[in-house]
Amino acid sequence: MNLRQRDRINPHLDLDTVDAAADLMALNMGPQHPSTHGVLRIKLFLDGEVIIKAVPYPGYLHRGVEKLCERLTCVQLTPIFDKHDYVAPMTNEQALNIALERMLGVEVPRRARYMRTILAELQRLASHLLWLGTFTLDIGGTIGGGASLMMYTFREREPILDVFEMLTGARFHYNTHQVGGNRHDIPDGWAAAVKTCMDQLAARMPEYEEQCVTNSVFLMRTKGIGVIETPLALELGLTGPNLRASGVDLDLRRDAPFHAYDEIKVNVAVSNGCDTHARFEVRIAEMYESIRIVRELIDNVPEGPICSLKPVRTVNQIKLPEGKQMYTAIETPRGELGTWLIGGGAEKGACPYRLKIRPPSLHAMAALPYALVGHTVSDVVAVLGSLDPIMGEVDR
Amino acid sequence: MMGPVDPALREALAKQFPDVFAAEGDLDPNGVVVPAALHVALAKTLKESFGFTLYVSVIATNFPTAEGETYEVATVLRNPTTAQPFWWRVRLGADPQLATLYPLFAGADWQEREQFDLVGVNFVDHPDMRRLMLSEDWEGFPLRKSYAIDTPHTPWR
Repeated sequence: MNLRQRDRINPHLDLDTVDAAADLMALNMGPQHPSTHGVLRIKLFLDGEVIIKAVPYPGYLHRGVEKLCERLTCVQLTPIFDKHDYVAPMTNEQALNIALERMLGVEVPRRARYMRTILAELQRLASHLLWLGTFTLDIGGTIGGGASLMMYTFREREPILDVFEMLTGARFHYNTHQVGGNRHDIPDGWAAAVKTCMDQLAARMPEYEEQCVTNSVFLMRTKGIGVIETPLALELGLTGPNLRASGVDLDLRRDAPFHAYDEIKVNVAVSNGCDTHARFEVRIAEMYESIRIVRELIDNVPEGPICSLKPVRTVNQIKLPEGKQMYTAIETPRGELGTWLIGGGAEKGACPYRLKIRPPSLHAMAALPYALVGHTVSDVVAVLGSLDPIMGEVDR
Repeated sequence: MMGPVDPALREALAKQFPDVFAAEGDLDPNGVVVPAALHVALAKTLKESFGFTLYVSVIATNFPTAEGETYEVATVLRNPTTAQPFWWRVRLGADPQLATLYPLFAGADWQEREQFDLVGVNFVDHPDMRRLMLSEDWEGFPLRKSYAIDTPHTPWR
């Protein structure tokens, strides 16, 4: 009997029908559990220590961003998008501005496209470094004594934030993209700073990887845990590293190129493991690939303008056409960040009529009821950490 | 733009859904409008015969008109082999009801709950049609155009 995961596990299981050996216990994990990456509550139904049903409750960080998007003009939206996924603001800005540019038919100069590619890959590194630190922290005192790997990954993330600061003046909420290109041009010495930062990281990455993969406790806690089989991963709409760890070779950077990805080669990491360890492997491989892409591009940024439109002076400078709607998606560190944009809203079309954000983390969270069943309570944090959710993006 | 749709797919869809996909002319770049009765059948055909197995999103939108409230539900799927997305729209009246895609796509569970929560479109036969983001005693549907952005919400009702 080899049932598909979808048929084997019922996320809406009626607990009255369960014939448990011991008494069932309901256990709330979160909303303020340190390993829930923000505020997420998962209600676990346990038979002994084995999970038989898991019900996640998102929404604690819901800020009504989609409603807000209907009241702010396109120019005002970029800083709002910084705050969705507060671990990868750069790619979030890009997702918004690409959606606006495609709806308006605005071309982006080649220099700006190269800069955006470099920024996206640096952001991927920063985001994955934070994930690596918190993931190994979640797994507990197994990696070199508690939090030490997290200290190292935060040390590596700092120079990346420093180069962002050199370019934009902000360490986090950058607001550096606009419709038609970028706001800030590359300052003197930036390429050298980026190269130094990449050299340091490239030299140290194998060390961090080795710390994990040679640790038998790490392997025991990740291999075979939190399996999401390929058909289920597709049905759930998992994207990015989570989907590629379930054996699907899909990466929008290569398959539906945006920025300058059509001019460079992207090697996509895929694993057939489908488990927590496969998601770890894919992200680690992506980090090496991002270092390679940044090093390849940083010396080849073409000269020219960085924005094809005149600089922003008023908030309602950009008007969206009425009656047009479209879906646009880019690959962020977490997967496919899509926007469904309908033009012709308030302020004579300067605001979107409707802007639906398709957050990759929300789809990853929806996998929890399937991935957790049959495992123990201690595996919850490992599986959750491996899916790399950011609750700001899940709840919006 | 929806982008070029594979001619073989276009032809097969025209054969199966002759009223919706005309054999000639460009498809509506905003997304083909499909009658609500064909919503599930179209999703099933796309998933099982054309490889659109990746569930991307569902988007409900409120359009107030002179005749009354109307709603549109757009569904986006993607073919993971070609990376080609495909989307269509369903128009609904003042009492928005649409069949769920949950039996076909497990991801529709939460996505449809979110659209129910924020826009108030009811997905029929969904196993668990509760609010996803807002608290269960929330009044109204915030993404409807009639819901003022400064509507007070007091937690001690």
